[in-house]
Amino acid sequence: AAAAPGKKITARIKRTLPVRGPQAPTLSELMRWYCLNTNTHGCRRIVVSRGRLRRFLWILLTLGAVGLILWQCAELLVNYYSASVSVTVQFQKLPFPAVTICNINPYKYSSMKDYLSELDKETKKALETFYGFSEGKSKVRRSVDEWNSTGSDFFEQIPLLKFEDFSKTATDLRSGQKRKIEGNVFHKDSSIVNSGDSNDIIGFQLCDANNSSECAIYTFSSGVNAIQEWYKLHYMNIMAQIPLETKEKLSYSADDLLLTCFFDGLSCDKRHFTRFHHPLHGNCYTFNSGENGTILSTSTGGSEYGLQVVLYIGEADYNPFLVTSTGAKIIVHDQNEYPFIEDIGTEIETAAATSIGMHFTRSRKLSKPYSDCTETGADIPVENLYNKSYSLQICLHSCFQKAMVDSCGCAQYAQPLPAGAEYCNYKKNPNWMYCYYRLHEKFVKEQLGCQQICKDACSFKEWALTTSIAQWPSTVSEDWMLRVLSWDKGQKINKKLNKTDLANLMVFYKDLNERFISENPANTLVILLSNFGGQLGLWMSCSVVCVIEIVEVFFIDSLSIVMRRQWQKAKKWWNNRKRDRAGKAPQAGDLERQGHDNPVCIDEDLPTFNTALRLPLPQDSPLPRTPPPNYSTLRLEAAFTEQLPDTLEVGQR
Amino acid sequence: GGSVKTGKMPEGEKTEQRQKEEEREGLIEFYSSYQELFQFFCSNTTIHGAIRLVCSKKNKMKTAFWSVLFFLTFGLMYWQFGILYREYFSYPVNLNLNLNSDRLTFPAVTLCTLNPYRYSAIRKKLDELDQITHQTLLDLYDYNMSLARSDWSTLSVQKRSSRSLLHHVQRHPLRRQKRDNLVNLPENSPSVDKNDWKIGFVLCSENNKDCFHQAYSSGVDAVREWYSFHYINILAQMPDAKALDESDFENFIYACRFNEATCDKANYTHFHHPLYGNCYTFNDNSSSLWTSSLPGINNGLSLVVRTEQNDFIPLLSTVTGARVMVHDQNEPAFMDDGGFNVRPGIETSISMRKEMTVRLGGSYSDCTEDGSDVPVQNLYSSRYTEQVCIRSCFQLNMVERCGCAYYFYPLPAGAEYCDYTKHVAWGYCYYKLLAEFKADVLGCFHKCRKPCKMTQYQLSAGYSRWPSAVSEDWVFYMLSQQNKYNITSKRNGVAKVNIFFEEWNYKTNGESPAFTVVTLLSQLGNQWSLWFGSSVLSVMELAELILDFVAITFILALRWFRSRQKLSPPGPPANSHDNTAFQDEVPGLSAPHRFTVEAVVTTLPSYNSLEPRGLSRDGEVGHK
Repeated sequence: AAAAPGKKITARIKRTLPVRGPQAPTLSELMRWYCLNTNTHGCRRIVVSRGRLRRFLWILLTLGAVGLILWQCAELLVNYYSASVSVTVQFQKLPFPAVTICNINPYKYSSMKDYLSELDKETKKALETFYGFSEGKSKVRRSVDEWNSTGSDFFEQIPLLKFEDFSKTATDLRSGQKRKIEGNVFHKDSSIVNSGDSNDIIGFQLCDANNSSECAIYTFSSGVNAIQEWYKLHYMNIMAQIPLETKEKLSYSADDLLLTCFFDGLSCDKRHFTRFHHPLHGNCYTFNSGENGTILSTSTGGSEYGLQVVLYIGEADYNPFLVTSTGAKIIVHDQNEYPFIEDIGTEIETAAATSIGMHFTRSRKLSKPYSDCTETGADIPVENLYNKSYSLQICLHSCFQKAMVDSCGCAQYAQPLPAGAEYCNYKKNPNWMYCYYRLHEKFVKEQLGCQQICKDACSFKEWALTTSIAQWPSTVSEDWMLRVLSWDKGQKINKKLNKTDLANLMVFYKDLNERFISENPANTLVILLSNFGGQLGLWMSCSVVCVIEIVEVFFIDSLSIVMRRQWQKAKKWWNNRKRDRAGKAPQAGDLERQGHDNPVCIDEDLPTFNTALRLPLPQDSPLPRTPPPNYSTLRLEAAFTEQLPDTLEVGQR
Repeated sequence: GGSVKTGKMPEGEKTEQRQKEEEREGLIEFYSSYQELFQFFCSNTTIHGAIRLVCSKKNKMKTAFWSVLFFLTFGLMYWQFGILYREYFSYPVNLNLNLNSDRLTFPAVTLCTLNPYRYSAIRKKLDELDQITHQTLLDLYDYNMSLARSDWSTLSVQKRSSRSLLHHVQRHPLRRQKRDNLVNLPENSPSVDKNDWKIGFVLCSENNKDCFHQAYSSGVDAVREWYSFHYINILAQMPDAKALDESDFENFIYACRFNEATCDKANYTHFHHPLYGNCYTFNDNSSSLWTSSLPGINNGLSLVVRTEQNDFIPLLSTVTGARVMVHDQNEPAFMDDGGFNVRPGIETSISMRKEMTVRLGGSYSDCTEDGSDVPVQNLYSSRYTEQVCIRSCFQLNMVERCGCAYYFYPLPAGAEYCDYTKHVAWGYCYYKLLAEFKADVLGCFHKCRKPCKMTQYQLSAGYSRWPSAVSEDWVFYMLSQQNKYNITSKRNGVAKVNIFFEEWNYKTNGESPAFTVVTLLSQLGNQWSLWFGSSVLSVMELAELILDFVAITFILALRWFRSRQKLSPPGPPANSHDNTAFQDEVPGLSAPHRFTVEAVVTTLPSYNSLEPRGLSRDGEVGHK
C-alpha cells in the first residue's frame, strides 16, 4: 500500500512527461530533420540546395563558419584574463611616510671596547704583520714569534691565507706555514682581476668541522675587503652573544643622533621618533612611525614643509674595521613596511646638506587569476618573521632564516630571530659559518625554493627619491652655527663640534600629486558573453538555444540512435543464436524485444510511438488497414502538433 | 493536420525515388525561371527582414511597414558599423602593468677615467697646440699658464714635421669679437668692458668666401671647445692613436666585488673614448651575465676606483673623478648621455630601479622592433637604439656633406676621419651641419624611431665620506701596499662606487591592443544579429541569389537567342526575362501553393517543397 502512491506518481510522470528517443530512425534522417528545422543558418541550405557542387559549397561554408566561431571564441577565452591599467593623479594632502635614520656605524666604538678589544688587537696585529702597517709611528714592529706566543683565538678559527699557484697552495699569513688546499673547493674565482704584481690573493677558508675535506674558499682581490670581511665574521659572532637590551644601550641614543628637528615648519624632538634596533646598524630612529596612532601629513610640498634634521655622526667614535665610510643612512618607507636599511638605505654625507625630494606612487595589481601576486601574504607558506606587513623581501629573508635554522641549527645575525632559535656563534655552533655560506650559495642559485614560494605583493607604495647635495655649513656661517649647535648639544660634549661630525638632512614632498596606478580587468563576464553572442551571430546567427539544440541533436539523439541500432543488432544476434540453439522460442524473443528491460538503454529507449510502431512491425502484426506511418509524415506532424504522437501512442496501446 | 498526413502518404516512396535521382543530380542545377528562383529564396532564406519585405507581397500595408523598418534598421546598423570601424582604425591600446620578479640580470656598467690619455704619453703630440694655446691665453686673458717644458728642445724637430699644424691652428684663431658687430678687434685690449665681448673662433669655407663665428659667452667654454677641436684633428692624424692608450685596468680599479665575490677577469671589456678616456664595461659579455639574487648593497657591484688626476691633460679634462654609466648589454655606452660622475673621497651608492617599456609596433605606435625598417645604416656593432640611430644618421650626413667622418663616432665603410690637413674646411662644414642637425633639418630625429622594447634604469644616489677618519689610515696603507697607490694624495685619490638594485622586481609597462579583430568581429556580429538576425551565411545566401540570378538571365537569354535563330520572325520575348529587376516576377509569387504542386510534378525534391507549405500554412493559421 505504501508503494502504491509512489508508483502512481511515477506512472503519472511517465504519462505527462514521457521520455522518448529521437523520432528519426536513422542518423541521416536525423540530420535532415535537424537541418530543416534548425534556426542556424547554412545548415538548411545544405539540404535544400540543388546541385552537388552547390551542396558541397554550402557544406564547406557551414563548416568554415563553425570553425571560425570556435577559433574566435577560443581567442576570446584566451584573452579573457587581461587587465588594463588606469593611472590617476590626484592632488591631496599626503600622509608623510615613515623616515628611518641610522648612523652607519652601529655602536659607539668607545663603549664596545670591552667586547671587541681582543678582536681589534688581533686585527691590528694582522695588519702589522701582513702589511707592515702600524698605527702609531713610534711603535716598534712586533715580531711574528711574539704574536704567536700570545695565542689568538680568532686566527685559529679562520686563518687568513695568501694563495699561490692558482689557489692550489696557500700560505697561512700568521704562522707562515704553507699548506696545501685540498678537498672539495666549491667556491672560488679562477682568474682574479686584480692580481697585479704582488700576486696577492688574500682569502680565508671555511671548512666543515665534521668533515674537513669539505671546504669553501673565499678570495678577495683587495686586502681591504679581505680584512673587512674577516672582521665582520668575528664581529657577528661576538655580537650574537650580547643580549638585545645591552646592545641598545651600547648604541646611539636619540639625543646622541638628533641635534635639531623641524617638521612642517614646527619644531619636533625625540618624542616624534621611535627607536628601532637593527642588527647591523644599531639603534635607528623612525620619524612618524605611526606607533602612537597618528600619522603626520604635509599640506604643502617643498623643502620648507618637510622633515629637517641635523644629525650628529661622531666620526671619532667609529669602528675603524667594521665600517669604512662616514655618514648616516636613511630610508623612506610606509609605516607598515619593514625598513631594509642595510640593503636599500640611502647614504647621507657629512658636512653637507642633503635634500631628498619624494614623489609618491601607489600601485595596485589584480590578484589571481590575472597575475600571481598575494594580497596579504597569508597564502604563502612562509612564516613572516618581521612583525610588519608582507613584502617580497620579507618573505625571502624569512624563508632563508627558516632554512638556516633548519639546517644549521641557529639563526643568522642580520635577520630576526624565529621562535625558539638563537643567533649563531661559534661557541655553540662551531660549524655555522661553513653551513651559512653553503646555504647562501644554494639560496643564490635558487636551490632552496624560496624564490619559487615567495610572491609579489599586490599593492605597494613607493617613494621615488631625488637627492641633491650642497656644502653645509657655508664657510661664513660655519663658525656661529657650530657654536650654537655645540651649545644645543649640551654638557655631554665639551669640545666644539666639527663640521664633519654633522649632517643636515631634508626630506620633503616635491609635489603633492599622488600617482595611483591600478589595474582593472579589461573584460567582464558580460562583455565576454556579448562577444560570444556576437561571434555566434556573425557567422551562423546561432544562439545559446541553438547550441543546446546542437548538443541535443548531435550528441544525445545521435547517440541514442546508434545505441538503438546496436541494441537491435545485439538482440537480433541473440535471438538468432537462441533460435539456432533451441530451434524455437521466437515468442520469447518477441517478448524480450518488447520488454525494454535491458539496463543499457532503458533510459533513452522507453517505448515511444516510433519504437512501438517499428519494433514489432513486419512479421508479427500485418496491420490490415492503416499503412505504417512514414517517418517524414510523422516529422511533419511533430512540426504541427506536439501531442499527436502521444495520443497515437496511447491509441496504439 | 490529418488531411496533410494522408496527403503525404506516398512520401516514403518518393524519398527512395529521390535518392535515386540524387545520384543523377547534376553538378549545379539552375532554376528554370526567376519565379522559381525567388520562390526558393523566399522560402529558404534566413534573413529576417527580407522575408517579410520581399516575400509578403500580398499585403501592401505590411510591405510598406516592413520596408520602412528594413531601411531604418539598415541605416542604424551601418551607422553603428561606422562607429565600430572608426574605433578599430584608431588602434586603441590598453596599458598593462606587469611586475616581473624573475632573476634580475645585472646591467652592464661602464666606468671611465675621464682622461683620454696620460698627459706624459701624449705630450709630444700636443706640445705645439699647447704652446699656441698658451700664447692665446696670454694674449687674451693675460694669463701665463705654466706648462712643463721638459721636452722643449724636441719641439724644433717636431715643428718641421708638423709645420702644417701651426698653419691650420692659425686658420682658426681664437679671438674676441664685439657682441653686436662681428668685427675683429686688436687682440691685446682686455681693458674693454668684458660684458660686451664674446669669444669664439672663425670657421671659413674652403675658399674663404663664407665665414662665420662660432662664438661662446664664456671664455672657458670657448677655450675648451677650440682646444678639443684641434685635439680631434691631431688625433685623426695619428694612425697609431690606439697605441697611445694603455689599458691600465689595475691602476684604475683597485677592488671589484660583485655579490660578495671577487669579480672575474672575464667580466669586463675595455674601450677607449677620445674624451672620457679608458672605459671599462663590466658584465658586457653575453656568455656569463651577473644576476642579482637579492636587492641591496651587498648583492650589487662594489668598486674602489682611483681618481688621481696628476696625469690629466690640463686643457681637456677639467673634471676629476670617474664617470659611471648603467646601460643594457649590447648597447653602446654613450657617456655624455647618461653618465653619473663619482666624486673622489666619497662612497657613491647608486641604487637602480629597472623599468621596461614594451610598445606595440605596427600600426599601433610608431616604433621599430629591431631597427631594420629604419632608413639609417647602423654604424655601431650593437643593437638598435634611438641614440645609435641618431649618431649614425649624423655621421652618415657628415660623410656625405663634408667628405669625412667625425672622430667621435664610428667610421662608415670607405670614409676617413676629418682632419684639416686633408679636409681644410671640415670645421666650417661640421658646425653648419651641427646647427642643421639640432634644428632637425637633417631629419635624423624624425627618421630614428624609438625601439619598441626599451629598458630604463632609474638611478638615485646616496653619498657618504669614504674612508672614514678612523679607518683611513689602514685603508690607504693597504691600498698603497697592494695597488701601488700614491698615499700622499689621500682622500682625493680614491672613490668607492656601489651599484645595486633597489627592488627585486621590475616593472614592465606594456601595451596590448584594446580592440582586436576578434572583438571587432564580435561587435559587428552583435550589431548584425541585433538589427537583422542575419549572419555571414545569410550574406552568402544573398550572393548565391545574385549569382543564380545572373546565371539564369544568361541561360534564358541564350535560350531566347537560340529560339529566335530558329524562328526567324520571333514574337515578342517573354516579358519575364529581359527585365533586370524582379518586379515582373513578383506577381508570380502570389500563388506559392500552386507552385509547390508544380514542383512535385517536376520531381523537385518533394521533401523540401512540403516544408514551406507546412510552414506558411502554419503562419497563416497563426495569423487568424
